[in-house]
Amino acid sequence: MAEASEYLVYTKNLVKRFGDVVALKGINFKVNYNEVVGLVGDNGAGKSTLAKILAGIYVPDEGEIYIKGQRFRRLTPQKARELGIELVHQERTLAEDHPIWRNIFMGREITGPLGFLRIREMRMASEKLLNEIGLRAISADTPVKFLSGGYKQGVQIVRAVQFEADLVILDEPTIQLSISEVHRVLNYVRELKKRGRSCVFITHNIYHVYPVADRFTILDRGRIVAEFRKADLSIEDLSHILVSVARTGRIPEKYEKINLLYTE
Amino acid sequence: MKRRNPRGSSLVNLIIGIWSKYSLQSTILLIFCAVWLVFYAISPASFARPFTYIAIMSVAPFTIIPALSLTYVIITGEIDLSFPSVMAFGAWVLTVTWHAFGPTILGPILALLAGLLAGLINGLLITKCRIPSFIATIGTLFFWRGFVLIATEGFSIPLGMFRGTPVYEALVGRISGVPAQLFWMVLIAVVLWLFLNLHKFGAHVYYTGDNRLAAQMLGIDTDKVLTIVFMIHGMISAFAGILVTLEMGSFWPALGEIYMLESIAAVIVGGTPITGGTGTIFGTFIGGLILKWIETGILAVGVTGFWIKLVYGLVIIVALVAQVMIRRRELRRHRIFGA
Ligand SMILES: Nc1ncnc2c1ncn2[C@@H]1O[C@H](COP(=O)(O)OP(=O)(O)OP(=O)(O)O)[C@@H](O)[C@H]1O
Ligand SMILES: [Mg+2]
Repeated sequence: MAEASEYLVYTKNLVKRFGDVVALKGINFKVNYNEVVGLVGDNGAGKSTLAKILAGIYVPDEGEIYIKGQRFRRLTPQKARELGIELVHQERTLAEDHPIWRNIFMGREITGPLGFLRIREMRMASEKLLNEIGLRAISADTPVKFLSGGYKQGVQIVRAVQFEADLVILDEPTIQLSISEVHRVLNYVRELKKRGRSCVFITHNIYHVYPVADRFTILDRGRIVAEFRKADLSIEDLSHILVSVARTGRIPEKYEKINLLYTE
Repeated sequence: MKRRNPRGSSLVNLIIGIWSKYSLQSTILLIFCAVWLVFYAISPASFARPFTYIAIMSVAPFTIIPALSLTYVIITGEIDLSFPSVMAFGAWVLTVTWHAFGPTILGPILALLAGLLAGLINGLLITKCRIPSFIATIGTLFFWRGFVLIATEGFSIPLGMFRGTPVYEALVGRISGVPAQLFWMVLIAVVLWLFLNLHKFGAHVYYTGDNRLAAQMLGIDTDKVLTIVFMIHGMISAFAGILVTLEMGSFWPALGEIYMLESIAAVIVGGTPITGGTGTIFGTFIGGLILKWIETGILAVGVTGFWIKLVYGLVIIVALVAQVMIRRRELRRHRIFGA
């Protein structure tokens, strides 16, 4: 088995309980440098819980987290960001009554002496970022409540990219989006990969994640049941596997030999 | 095809631009002007005299100062009902300090610390014990009032003998006829405005009210924000309390009670929704002035003071309806991006 320090992110035996519910039952999750991981699984599998532990929002009950070889029992949102991990939440994490530029810098305002805001700087940086991601024609002064669902998602993604994170975790980023907006998100993931960064793409929709992912991790009821290289299987294979996992909790026999958990 | 605006209309465009960006504040200002004009028309004699304005300005700060910091509290989505008692507590601390050590700066300093303490207790009850602010501050409302009543055995304490001393005059003296509390009110408004709009802390105050969960997920310590907001409000309420007691020249244990609903009304008329997330210091300032103008106006017109409450009620309702209409129209007009 490979050393934890070879991975950008490596978790060892993560357990997370919510009262009686065990959301994660010993997760060994890995992300390589410059890799796009598709994290798939049914509702309630624990995908968001894992993402939130990596972003420092939840504290795991057991287990360890290695980021670039550095070992942690738990992270805080600040620590995770310092380490270069950005999470785009499944939930809306926007202050709807406030302009786009304030939302982009929410919690990480650029400040001058005594903590006063550098408003012009943040506004200009926001305009530039909106342009880059293809949200031209929107002023950064627009309150977020006036945006459509897709544009709101765009603002959340812009917020994650601006800080040049090493790992961007996208939790259901394509839900509620129109076809062209989905396209934009997928291009953004490709752009990350091109720039040498990593991405965890969480979704139900394998048609969205298949084209951009390098590897798939399948989560079921708090356990990782399988990992596959994209090169080893077609989208139809992936679809079969997920149906089987949802029904029986196991992957079909014939795919076991390409399951990375066993060939490793 | 694009239509070009005729030349010379840039000023009009500017005004329209400012109006649509600040439609809420503009409306509040308009209501204020309307109230003023109505009273001016009914009773030009009294509203043409500077004395009337000085009379308003000597009492308006007592309502408006606590309302300014209460705006922070309401923006975070919380409420503080205890501040009238904190006003009394702060004023009592000043009174006993002065009677013990003379009218020095020590009195106001200890009073402000008392206010901070009261705010800290509110903050801890809300953030640590997770008691809803509405309930927690009803508790402290009774507690501090009871404390002051027990400490004074219900009696008033005179302060008039300290009039003319420097600290007294700096707080509520007259500066070429203008009451000093007016300057304190403006100073507090400017400082609170500055921090709310241009400082990181103010931004966090807004996010705590707008989407608390999101703020927490993005690493903002909303409990700390709330505690600090309640402490600021406690301190400023105590300051308002000492202004009231010095202006009147005596401390009395029921001090502050009348400001409860007036200050809350000033915030609400000023356009801060009780659900939090938005709101402005400017709005509260004008909202407070509207209420005070009405009070003075009704007395000047010469009808009985009973009318004040009725007109307050009407103005509050009109202001709220106007705000709801503005927000709805905004949403209709602007929902254009994406779809
Ligand atoms: N804050 C919480 N409190 C209590 N239970 C929780 C909490 N968050 C998640 N759970 C539970 O943990 C389990 C895993 O939830 P999680 O949100 O991680 O699933 P998911 O894979 O992201 O699902 P979905 O596809 O619906 O987003 C579920 O049973 C859920 O009810
Ligand atoms: Mg989820």
